[in-house]
Amino acid sequence: MDAEILGLIVGSLVSLGAYSVLIGDNPISKITENIYMGILGGYIFATNWDFINKNAISKVANGEPVYIISILLSLMLLGRLKAKYLWISRYPVVLTVGVGLGLAMRTTVMADFLGQIQATLLPWNSFNNIVMVIGTCVTAAYFIFTTQESGAYKYINRAGRAFLLCAFGVAYGQTVSFRFELVIGRLVSMLDPRVSMYTYAFIVIMAAILIYGYKTNKIEWYTGR
Amino acid sequence: MSIIDKLLNIDQRIIFFLMFIALAFPILNPVILPMAVQDYSRKAFEFSDSIPEGSIVLFEGGLGAATYPQGGPGMVAQIYHMLTKGVKIVFFSIGTEQNVWTMKAIETALDKLPAGTPAENGVNWVHWGYIAGGESGVGSLVNDIRATVSADYFGTPIDDIPLLESVNDASAFSAVLWWGGSEGSMPYGIRQISVPFNIPITGMCTTNEVPNFSPYISAGQLQGLFGGVRGSAEYEYLLHLPGPALGQAMATNFGGLLWMVLVILGNVMYFIQRTRGEA
Amino acid sequence: MSERLYKIQLPIFLTALFGILMILEHFFQMPSVVAGFNVTMRSFVTIVSAAALMLGIIFLTIAHVRTISEKKSEWYYSIFYIVSLLITAGLGMVGVRNESFLWIYNNMTSPIGAALYSLTAFYITSAAYRVFRARNWSASILLVCGFIVLMMLIPIGAIIFPPVVPIGEWLRSFPSSAGFRGMIMGTSLGVMGLGVRVFTGRQKEHLGIREERAGGE
Repeated sequence: MDAEILGLIVGSLVSLGAYSVLIGDNPISKITENIYMGILGGYIFATNWDFINKNAISKVANGEPVYIISILLSLMLLGRLKAKYLWISRYPVVLTVGVGLGLAMRTTVMADFLGQIQATLLPWNSFNNIVMVIGTCVTAAYFIFTTQESGAYKYINRAGRAFLLCAFGVAYGQTVSFRFELVIGRLVSMLDPRVSMYTYAFIVIMAAILIYGYKTNKIEWYTGR
Repeated sequence: MSIIDKLLNIDQRIIFFLMFIALAFPILNPVILPMAVQDYSRKAFEFSDSIPEGSIVLFEGGLGAATYPQGGPGMVAQIYHMLTKGVKIVFFSIGTEQNVWTMKAIETALDKLPAGTPAENGVNWVHWGYIAGGESGVGSLVNDIRATVSADYFGTPIDDIPLLESVNDASAFSAVLWWGGSEGSMPYGIRQISVPFNIPITGMCTTNEVPNFSPYISAGQLQGLFGGVRGSAEYEYLLHLPGPALGQAMATNFGGLLWMVLVILGNVMYFIQRTRGEA
Repeated sequence: MSERLYKIQLPIFLTALFGILMILEHFFQMPSVVAGFNVTMRSFVTIVSAAALMLGIIFLTIAHVRTISEKKSEWYYSIFYIVSLLITAGLGMVGVRNESFLWIYNNMTSPIGAALYSLTAFYITSAAYRVFRARNWSASILLVCGFIVLMMLIPIGAIIFPPVVPIGEWLRSFPSSAGFRGMIMGTSLGVMGLGVRVFTGRQKEHLGIREERAGGE
């Protein structure tokens, strides 16, 4: 059998295993989840090892001894394994936190703060511009200032909440569509005409196993709504 | 228990089953309907089309296993678009699994290219593979490439790659194409590359993230955006490059309709209960 | 040397030093020594971040090994984790472009990951049916905006009610965009505030002091 077809068949089997959790927690879904975590863990471990090998160990071997420090810092993270030595792991952590915060702070001022303020300074010559200016101001006020609702501020607060709710509503609608796209992406592979027969067969086999499990009380039937 | 109570307390597995059927049915029986091109997609396409021949673009491939089916066809179209225009591409990924999917998209695009299109690895494109560190990794990469990456995805040393001869920071790039998928990493590109180096940026994210990035589009910091499978389908349509995205975009129809029917039904029953004083 | 100095104070000072050097470099011309130091530190961060991910996997594996050795409830599932991890990591250590390694990844992890990630489509629908109600004006805004945008996104929506496309695009480009813009500005202020707190030692969560105390007790 062609490796691609075999891959699609295996993919279909394990996907059904993952989807079986929709019926309720069951042994098939738990095995699938553990296999997934194991393979993903192995993959992340190997890929990051390859990255360190390529960008630190090889550099040391090619005459850049300064990268020994990065390897030592990486090893210092192992201090996390025991509370007594946890302080050793602080040094690599402060490096990542310090550099990360510095990089984020220096650019967020221009891109996210001043850039967005600048984009809000629109002429009041159209309805859309007015919506944009008022919306941004009231939302920022609602988001940033937490103060008691009284006087005129009460109305600003309510308007800010309305704009935020609109934003969340839009994000919700988009999210629903995104989730459907995820299922469709998987179903396209599972229902590929070359492997769909296997998919149907796996559904029947899994259903038989689960029905047997539920009938004999070996698997607990989920009774919530 | 009234019928309304029974309907509202229906076992959720029945809803799951109905949704499964609604999403699977159009895949087995595809129907193609006319579809409008969204404004954000058109802007992103027009920007991509305006990148001059011979320039080099930086391409972040952030699609993973779950998001590749929706964004992959669009990513293939973008790579195809750039290479047929004679634009050179430097790929990288900030996720471990994403770098494999980026490679898959490159291979698919290369297979689709018209005969004779220059697409030599190391000359017309290069894939750096996985760069660790998230936003800090991006910051490190674009400020000094050789200090961050020593070899490409295939293990070729950076100094042996002709395309990178005169490239050591982001100033060598004419544009950034950030196919971030569901990473939520688009602001990394804007903060670390686009704003400090004054390089225009566009790209793709999953459908759910489009609203989060819409302020960047209206601020002119993002030149446009392809959102999810619909964005991919629109790219294929605008580029006249038929692919799998259109069929998948159509497959959302029944799922979407079922969701809307259920929400309307739920609300109608709620109002009936409320008028009866039960809710 | 006091224990507090090298365990707490020096790490706080170094966090501030690394961060401030990164910020200064962006706004001012720095001596080449400082610029070179920053470049090296940034590349070190990528290495340490990769090592941190490896450490995460080590921690997870230790937890599974403990579950098996102490025969905790459902311990046998952890065997699947350990076996899968050993096979994949072993093949990957031979070479990350090794065909067997990539085959396992592409045909097992990818489909399961995609399936697990997509489960929310079902839960989100069931939850919408049960609780997404126009109970008051705030919930109604959320419901109406979500409904219109979903209708705009599905191709059949434009056939059922054509104006839904311009209305949905307007909602996304203006009121929703204004809402998200306010949030972006708020979070950017938050990032700056957090940075100042971390650099001045007022925020010390990243040092893991609580975990150290909990482990030492």
